[in-house]
Amino acid sequence: MGKRLRGVLVTIVFLNGVSLWGESENIFERNCVPCHQELPTSLGEMFKSYLLVYSSEKFVKAGIKHYLRHPFKSLSVMSDLFIDTYGIKKPTHLTPKELDEAIDIYWEKFKVFDKLK
Amino acid sequence: MSASKNRATNSLLRSEKKSLYRFLALYVAMVIFGITLLSAFYYESQKKLALSNYRVMMAQYAYIQTKRLKVLHHFFPDRREYPRDPRFTSAIYDIEFHKIFSLNRVESIRFDEEIYLTNGYVHFIKGLDTYYLGTRYLVIEVQDDAKWEVAIWKDIALYGTIAFVLFLLFGLYLAKLFLKPMRDSIMLLDRFIKDTTHELNTPLSAILANIEMMDTDVMVEKNRKKLERINIAAKTVSTLYKDLTFLTLEQEKKNEDEHLDVKEIVLDRVEYFDILARSKQVTFSLALDDATLYMDRRKFTRIIDNLISNAIKYNKRKGAIKITLEPNRLIIEDSGIGIDEEKIPLMFDRYLRFNSSEGGFGIGLSIVKKIVDEYGISIDVTSQKEVGTKMEIRWEND
Repeated sequence: MGKRLRGVLVTIVFLNGVSLWGESENIFERNCVPCHQELPTSLGEMFKSYLLVYSSEKFVKAGIKHYLRHPFKSLSVMSDLFIDTYGIKKPTHLTPKELDEAIDIYWEKFKVFDKLK
Repeated sequence: MSASKNRATNSLLRSEKKSLYRFLALYVAMVIFGITLLSAFYYESQKKLALSNYRVMMAQYAYIQTKRLKVLHHFFPDRREYPRDPRFTSAIYDIEFHKIFSLNRVESIRFDEEIYLTNGYVHFIKGLDTYYLGTRYLVIEVQDDAKWEVAIWKDIALYGTIAFVLFLLFGLYLAKLFLKPMRDSIMLLDRFIKDTTHELNTPLSAILANIEMMDTDVMVEKNRKKLERINIAAKTVSTLYKDLTFLTLEQEKKNEDEHLDVKEIVLDRVEYFDILARSKQVTFSLALDDATLYMDRRKFTRIIDNLISNAIKYNKRKGAIKITLEPNRLIIEDSGIGIDEEKIPLMFDRYLRFNSSEGGFGIGLSIVKKIVDEYGISIDVTSQKEVGTKMEIRWEND
């Protein structure tokens, strides 16, 4: 009886720990950051490349979303040298809702609005 | 006492003046409209020219700022200070016209124009091909010194005034051409009257002389009355003859001004017209003070004759005429048919008659007006329909 109770308590603490770990990292950090950490070009630099091509929030978000779902060399904002070296990513496995959420977080993190002085 | 001479007689008839004024008003309105339109075109073209000068300068500023944005884009977010320049301010907008950052004082932007003036500032909009920091539109702003505008207004005022004066002179020339047919017809009538008048002199003199010579004492009553009627008719024709002569011949004669005893002349002319008045059973009532006036006797007589003969002609049967003479004014009032108040200003026009039942050419009062204008004498008319007319002439003492 005492063993069983101890086992239940351990399970609860472990699950709580898992759920806490899950809350500290959002969908962007979980799904995007890990892979990009291995690349020499940061997510911030890539964001600026998107800005250079798409300009506004709506178009940048649409551009990213489209590329993540249909990653082709011709659609990438990165240079040919970068693509040839590191290749094209695989199509995203995130649902459209999750994708939108991740992109929204990405935009808020790197947007230029209200940052200039 | 004398009356100062005023040669500025109104040679144009009132109807002519009315036509002239109407034409001139229309013409001036058209000229002003034309000049305003041309000025507007000129203003717009000069404004475009001024803006094109700004464009050259501001395109350079935009080029410089684009280079700075490129650098900022490269170092963002480590560097966040937007590039500034003492010569201009700028703002950046994304492809959906959202403001990314602005130092401009005027925030409303017309993205469909390349360069424009707004609230004393010039905006130049450059579309970027590479969207540094997401910038699709770079808006350069400089303060407009408005020197070009002052120069334009000066030009418009100067050349507009010159053009207006020239057009006005041309308009006056046109107006003269416009009035010529009317003037010609009046001159034709004048010439006709002049020719006719000449032929009236001899028979009229013969009739009047013979009437004077007739001995009425030996006549039977019936014949004396007939002679009286002949006398009245002859005097009426004589008055008309004198008016016509004055109008066509004598007015060009030199004036022989003298100190006139106005009372004596009035009494003389009342006596002359007495027989005419009696024929309509019109009675005179006189209140005459002594008065003198320095002017030509013939002309003053024409004034008195016309005023008295009108007072008789347009009187009722058994009416009255009151003549009041004071040192500087003469009033002749009748108890006649009167005229409408709105027609009073027109009654001095030549050939204008208000009552076609009475004879005449309608020249009497135009002669009176001509003479009083010449001598600077004022004439006032007050009239009430079916009550009577009051004519008052007033001259100034020395």
